[in-house]
Amino acid sequence: MPRPNKKRQWDYGLICIVFILVGIGLLILYSTSAYNGEVKFHDSFYYLKKQAFATALGIAGMFFTAKMDYHIFQKFAVWGYLAALGLSTAVLFIGDEYNGSKRWLSFGPFSFQPSEYAKLAVILFLASFVSKHVKKMGKMGMLLKVMLTILPIVALVGTNNLSTAIIILGIAVVLVFVASPKYAQFIWMGSLGIGFMAIFLGLESYRLERLAIWRNPEAYEKGYQTLQGLYAIGSGGLFGRGLGKSVQKLGFVPEAQNDMIFSIICEELGLVGAAFIIVLFLILIWRFFVIATHAKDLFGALIATGAMAHIMIQVILNIAVVTNSIPNTGITLPFISYGGTSVVFLLAEMGLVLSVSGLIE
Amino acid sequence: MCGVFLMKNKTYNKKKIFFVFTAAFLVLLFLIGRLVYLMVFDAGYYQEKAEALHERERDIKAARGEIVDRNGTVLATNKTVCTISVIHSQIKDAETVIRMLVKELGMEEAEVRKKVEKVSSMERIKTNVDKETGDKIRAYEMEGVKVDEDFKRYYPFEELGSRVLGFTGADNQGIIGLEVKYEEELKGENGKILTTTDARGIELEGVAEDRIEPVPGNTLQISMDYNIQSYAQQAAEQVMEQKQADGVGIIIMEPDTGEILAMVNVPEFNLNEPFKLNTGEDTSGLSDEEKQKLLNQMWRNRCINDTYEPGSIFKTVTSAACLEEGVVSLDDTFFCPGYKIVEDRKIRCHKVGGHGQETFVQGVQNSCNPVFMEVGMRLGADKFCGYFEKFGLMDKTGIDIPGEAGTIMHKKENIGEVELATMTFGQSFQITPIQMASTVSALVNGGTRVTPHFGVRVLDKEGKEIHRFSYEEKKEVVSKEVSETMRKILESVVSVGSGKNGYIDGYRIGGKTATSQTLPRSANKYISSFIGFAPADDPKVLGMCIIYNPKGIYYGGTIAAPVIRDIFENILPYLGYEKDESLMREKEEE
Repeated sequence: MPRPNKKRQWDYGLICIVFILVGIGLLILYSTSAYNGEVKFHDSFYYLKKQAFATALGIAGMFFTAKMDYHIFQKFAVWGYLAALGLSTAVLFIGDEYNGSKRWLSFGPFSFQPSEYAKLAVILFLASFVSKHVKKMGKMGMLLKVMLTILPIVALVGTNNLSTAIIILGIAVVLVFVASPKYAQFIWMGSLGIGFMAIFLGLESYRLERLAIWRNPEAYEKGYQTLQGLYAIGSGGLFGRGLGKSVQKLGFVPEAQNDMIFSIICEELGLVGAAFIIVLFLILIWRFFVIATHAKDLFGALIATGAMAHIMIQVILNIAVVTNSIPNTGITLPFISYGGTSVVFLLAEMGLVLSVSGLIE
Repeated sequence: MCGVFLMKNKTYNKKKIFFVFTAAFLVLLFLIGRLVYLMVFDAGYYQEKAEALHERERDIKAARGEIVDRNGTVLATNKTVCTISVIHSQIKDAETVIRMLVKELGMEEAEVRKKVEKVSSMERIKTNVDKETGDKIRAYEMEGVKVDEDFKRYYPFEELGSRVLGFTGADNQGIIGLEVKYEEELKGENGKILTTTDARGIELEGVAEDRIEPVPGNTLQISMDYNIQSYAQQAAEQVMEQKQADGVGIIIMEPDTGEILAMVNVPEFNLNEPFKLNTGEDTSGLSDEEKQKLLNQMWRNRCINDTYEPGSIFKTVTSAACLEEGVVSLDDTFFCPGYKIVEDRKIRCHKVGGHGQETFVQGVQNSCNPVFMEVGMRLGADKFCGYFEKFGLMDKTGIDIPGEAGTIMHKKENIGEVELATMTFGQSFQITPIQMASTVSALVNGGTRVTPHFGVRVLDKEGKEIHRFSYEEKKEVVSKEVSETMRKILESVVSVGSGKNGYIDGYRIGGKTATSQTLPRSANKYISSFIGFAPADDPKVLGMCIIYNPKGIYYGGTIAAPVIRDIFENILPYLGYEKDESLMREKEEE
């Protein structure tokens, strides 16, 4: 079947929703970071400037990627994956430490977080790998083989960024699940995963402590961040204090522009605003779903599915943590939390999905 | 190749993608539900907690009520003082700020620099800066420089009536004197500001603050007269200097109402610096405890807080009791050989050679001890104690100054003849000076025991009366007749007797002198005193002067009586009692 030579039609719904999210994200980021920027750097625009720069870079990358035929990436998927492994190894040795975690690589004035890149690399690698072996995906052996191939990156990233490792693992499970015709084996995998988790938690007492803090954050000193987030959420009420009027961001919620940013959204914009943001993400996920189900081929479908898995896992985990629905773990809110590398690769990922959408007939 | 892909993107893939999407949709719905729960049902709980975390409560000091004298002269008021602070994060130009503060506050540059450059949320540069300087600093409008106004208690006349007025402590509450007694009237009610702060405790601008306005305290009008008080203080200081005395106390009161016009205890201390010793002693080497002891000593109001043996002034009480009981009449004659034997003791008169033959009135004029021992014996211990109690000497006077000392008296069953004899002329027991003055007041004012006091009425800010104090009066502790007799006898004490140094030409003055030796007797220390009242036929002013440990001549009639005479001479015309020309002529004819 010859490829039709018609003009590419991107999914404009996706572009819209991405721009809305990025715009609102920057606004909220400025609101939450202005105080911290002023206190730490005597510049209330400090964080916004850096984020805006990364966003501009990301948008350029998004359109650049969107214009390319995504099949080109199939050839580089393995190399991209190997690069992710290399960078993640490098960060272990020459990474910069910040807040006790080694997650950054410095290139002159820029710093780069390999784990953010790794997520995109894994999506591409698995989409490519799985679509090549799709006939055997129903077999248990193949499943294990897929999982084993991504185990090195999960382990490397997981050494100092457990949350991202979990996200990568989650993306992998979703991709394999979608590619496989069966259901039952995933129930097995699920049970196995839960058992594994229990052992993992029990191994280190501090992980169990996290559970205890989750149950009752007021009783523990380490529940401070969670509790401050809850204060912020509770203070929001139906319509919030109004944009920019959060008090909790003034040093009460530590680093409000990072993982806990959603609590400040709740405080400033209220239940209505917070629900609106969640709905925006739902629309985004829905566009991924539409693109994935209409994609021209399995590789494209799996790229869209991987992006969907990525965004949904991160949004769900972030909001669940902030609302203390699950124990605390550091996960950023896509497009909104502060983080340059994150926004650059997220936008590149969006470009990839747009590229997929462009080939839909 | 594309066809292969297309073929592989089968229905089950779509189904599974739909499955994942549905799962995400449901979980996100659940999270919205969780938010509804947190933000609607739990909101109150978290809001309250958050507010408690953000809000700082700050008191707004209420202005303390003023204390004014009987004519409205302000004796205690408030002064606005400023506290100058800097907020490090708001300072734009540290050098200019430092230069300005050094210039206006007259502080060392190094000290100012250290404070300005210190990274802290707020640094206090100087407190108790006068308002003028504070306004000047505020006028610079420099960012990061804060001028806070506050009230400080201020006593315009510094030493005047220091132990009567009292002073206030750091949190503006009364510590001694009237400031303590009338705390409730004076203190007012502090207001509150509720402000919102960030995590560092810095107040947020533009956030609505809740404010409860302070209610200023009421004005207390007291019976003290500024002019009389300051004149009496001068007189006391003069005699203290002349006689090298330890201290001098003066009480000027209205014997018919109990209102006190002046109460002096020199050396006074400066109420604006109540924690500095008035002796000028260097306290830097002393422990806190020792220093506090000295301060407590300095703050004592000897007229009220300390007792003494009243000596011969007490003979007024003995006279009144004996006259009331009828055991003596004015014309009864006595003989004084210079002593009297009581049981096995020879108790001497102050006149070694004796007064010889004399009437009772002459005995009082001479302040002759044997006469009083004699009439005291006639009365007997039981009756003596009965009158002692009836005149109110066993109770406190009830004066409105805290810390009044009680009477130190023999137990009735322990009073033998010797004790009785010494008591008749005011020895072997102790009372406070104010007790003595109050008791004599009752004996000469027609027999009404009044409560000595300062507090007259409470005024609001506009000077409108809120309420007037009333004080207990006990009628007829002594009969009108005896009171009249007492006035006559005491007038004769001044006109012809031992109190003649209290005499003022043209006035009818009554009075009695006293010289008492303090314990231990071996120390040869004396307390000289004189109590006088005028006009003698209808007493309106009663004055008492006590000189503690005078050097040289120590007779009350010689050194204390002139003090009261001097004061009376000046205050009687001031109070509207003019000299009576007829009295002067009468005197000249004599």
